[in-house]
Amino acid sequence: MSSSPVLFAICVALLPLLSAGDSCLSPSVKQKVYTTTDSTASIESVVLAEFSITCKNGLKDLSLYAEFEGKTAPASRIPGTNTYQASFSQDHKSLPSGTYTMRIFDEEGYSALRKVQRSGESTDGVKALYELPISHSGIWRGPVIQSECVAALVAVFVSYMAYSARSRLQQS
Amino acid sequence: MAPSTKLTKQEELLLQDFSRNVSTKSSALFYGNAFIVSAIPMWLFWRIHQMDLQQSAVVFVAMTLVCTYLVAFAYKNHKFLLKHQIAQKRGEAVSHEIMKKVEGDKKMSKQEKEERILWKKNEVADYEATTFSIFYNNALFLTFVIVASFYVLRSFNPTFNYVLSMASAGGLLALFSTGTK
Repeated sequence: MSSSPVLFAICVALLPLLSAGDSCLSPSVKQKVYTTTDSTASIESVVLAEFSITCKNGLKDLSLYAEFEGKTAPASRIPGTNTYQASFSQDHKSLPSGTYTMRIFDEEGYSALRKVQRSGESTDGVKALYELPISHSGIWRGPVIQSECVAALVAVFVSYMAYSARSRLQQS
Repeated sequence: MAPSTKLTKQEELLLQDFSRNVSTKSSALFYGNAFIVSAIPMWLFWRIHQMDLQQSAVVFVAMTLVCTYLVAFAYKNHKFLLKHQIAQKRGEAVSHEIMKKVEGDKKMSKQEKEERILWKKNEVADYEATTFSIFYNNALFLTFVIVASFYVLRSFNPTFNYVLSMASAGGLLALFSTGTK
């Protein structure tokens, strides 16, 4: 049959068009973001984003990836929902207060991102599916003076007063 | 005739005034105060160092009693040391005040007036020495406990920390009070 190679060529030519249906079109995102606020209870600063994504073309069960400050990680989907979670942790020092962006990629975007990362180029050019704004208000580093230090200072001061009063009594 | 060994009432009073023995009232005050100040660190170790009140009850009671004894011992010694110094310091003011009071009293003999001054002097010195001794030793005891438990023994477990800081604070206090100055 001579028509089968032609049919095959047509199918191959149409494949990209079919696969284009796998990408999420104009996603609308609802997000909740948590960042660490207290350094006394945690060793590292954590950025945790929970977001639900709805595509215009009705795509569901997407495999999504998140990128934050040069690190990438798969976003985990909460089973049975359209909600995803992604978290990153860094030293307190390398995450000062400010506004950051977490970029969300689908599989296609993620492979493009990996390719760019492997070649050592800047990843800014890779188009993300969505960019989550993250506002980190900084961390509380604990009180400047510990309460036991205040207690000890007050006790030493009172003892000093008592001692000096005794010295005054003993001067004859 | 052999000299009489029996002391007169006045001499007995004088001896009592300058002896180390304290009256029952004074003793009760000392032990009551010593108990309160020895029990206070229990709160510190219960709330801050997270010791369980029921599990560590035996240790708490034992150390509180030991420290009560040591702190009361320090109170007594300190009072004895301070009483003479205070009597000397306040003597002039007390006699001045008493003399002013009994100046017009023609009936009172000179000896009686002097006795009154001595009695008042003793009372003032006793009161001031008692209260000052309590204040001084409380301040020192709590300072020792805080510094020992938070800084010196901070790496120990709370029970050891409690026993050692209480024992060292009480011991140091008792030791310091045995000095002569």
